[in-house]
Amino acid sequence: MTPARFLEIRRDTWNRLDEIVSKASKSGIRALSEDEIHELTRLYPAVAIDVARARMYNIDPTTQNRINQLAISAHGLLYRRKNIKYAETVWIFFRDGYPRLFRRLWPYMTLATALFIIGFLGTYVSARLKPSNAYLFVPGEMDLTDNKTGVSSEDISERFRKTAKPPMATGIMTNNISVAFNAFALGITAGIGTCFVIIFNSMMLGGFAAHFANHGLSFEFWSFITAHGVLEIFAILVSAAAGLRMGLSLVIPGNLKRYASLRLGAIDAVLLVLGTIPMFIVAGFIEGFITPTFIPGGVKIILGITVASVTIGYLLLAGRTTGITTGALA
Amino acid sequence: MQDFDFIETPENVELQRRLAGIGTRFIAGLIDNLLIGLMYLVLFLFLVIFDMNIAGKAGIESPARIWALTLVIIIAFAIYWGYFVFFEMRTNGQSPGKKFMKIRVVQMEGTGISFNAIAIRNLLRAVDMIGLYAIAGISMFFTQKMQRLGDLAAGTVVVSEELPNYSAYNDQKRQVLDNEAITPGALEATGLKPQEYRLLNNYWLRREELSLEVRSRLLPQLVRPVLSRLGRTLPDESLDTLEYFVAEILTMAINARQQTTKINDTRKVDR
Repeated sequence: MTPARFLEIRRDTWNRLDEIVSKASKSGIRALSEDEIHELTRLYPAVAIDVARARMYNIDPTTQNRINQLAISAHGLLYRRKNIKYAETVWIFFRDGYPRLFRRLWPYMTLATALFIIGFLGTYVSARLKPSNAYLFVPGEMDLTDNKTGVSSEDISERFRKTAKPPMATGIMTNNISVAFNAFALGITAGIGTCFVIIFNSMMLGGFAAHFANHGLSFEFWSFITAHGVLEIFAILVSAAAGLRMGLSLVIPGNLKRYASLRLGAIDAVLLVLGTIPMFIVAGFIEGFITPTFIPGGVKIILGITVASVTIGYLLLAGRTTGITTGALA
Repeated sequence: MQDFDFIETPENVELQRRLAGIGTRFIAGLIDNLLIGLMYLVLFLFLVIFDMNIAGKAGIESPARIWALTLVIIIAFAIYWGYFVFFEMRTNGQSPGKKFMKIRVVQMEGTGISFNAIAIRNLLRAVDMIGLYAIAGISMFFTQKMQRLGDLAAGTVVVSEELPNYSAYNDQKRQVLDNEAITPGALEATGLKPQEYRLLNNYWLRREELSLEVRSRLLPQLVRPVLSRLGRTLPDESLDTLEYFVAEILTMAINARQQTTKINDTRKVDR
């Protein structure tokens, strides 16, 4: 067969496929009738082979390009992700996939927690030994030295109580989720950026805790932050673990090629960080609506520890019995 | 950096995809960010108008005002992190800006983009957008397939979907050659009359579209009068010989045309 003959006998096929593809290009494959879909599945492989043949005959580049584009468009229509049922996918993910993912990635969680504890203790001890160090972390308006007599947990939460609760709760929540997403994204810097986020947050906490302890207000401080803080810090650590998962996949690829390792790490990591969203919503709700109230400090501490325990219990125990189905995610 | 990416299909054919350039992607990103800015503006105006009409009477601490503010915070957050995820999910990899620039995000394997990949590339946008997308630009410059960091981690590439306009391309090509044919100076060298040149030229441009039978029937009829007028003979009348003759004489005309153009140009400079 000559190139000319090849073009002549294949032209109709290409024009037909072109019609179908351009019909589907506007509103996707849904725009096609059943017959047209059958025709598409039949024509696509033939045209894909024409691409190879056109190269062999070395026909003019414009036509080669045209057939290639046709095949690419048809390929894009046929090979696509399965349509997923969103609600079901999310449900199965949180029922099985997420706790399993968390347990599989426990080393990263341990690493993130260890870094946090080191940062916290280091700052706490240093600010206890030398109280002025605390002012590296505590802003001026939180200075307690002027009215150190009679400061109570109510005074500490005064500023919070003045603000309207719903916007504050959502503001805190969205801010924390952004911090979590950033902790994940900064993992791409081989985990260095994520470590910075952990250390920064742990030093803030250590500085504040030491500052209040220096003024004998330890109980007030902890009862104030525990209600929301335990879950919040836990969720930040989970997202930091996600960042470390992605970052260390670049540093320590194991048996994989570095790039393949990064891609696997990124999938683990993004799912791990997306799963923290509900935790932040709960924590934000508590911080907005419960923390600024006059509920006794002891109750707040118990509440905070209970909420965190339930979360950790879910992560450790859920998804152990329902077989190997993990759904479309994870 | 390269302009093309190859995917191996299940049919064992290597297909070529044109990668979207940095400039195109930058403009698409600009459009998307303008749209995001517009949405923020609408939210802000909503709050201002709300304050003037409702909250103004009921007071800034009124429940209506508080819940309006809450709603605005949630929507602004959803836009910031969700704009790209939402649109790339809905349209199989095309945010409005990308749609406008006729580019699309696809998996490197050639399949449609997955949710995981969309989430990864758009959360990593937080790093890529540092310094007005400087990090993304640097990454795209140094990676073979022009990927920003989010694309690298997600295993995605952005490809151009703009179909070259074939008919326009062909018309243009034909037009250019026709115009060249009209220059009488160029034809002196070949001895062709303008209409003879146009005839042969049209045949040459269209020959790929004609079957071999038609070509071997048609071409002798076209070439014979030209040959007899020029007083030339060819060893035989096979299609190969005739086409070789046509190609030769057309090339001669085009070369002569280019030379006369050059002479004209130098004359202009002299003046």
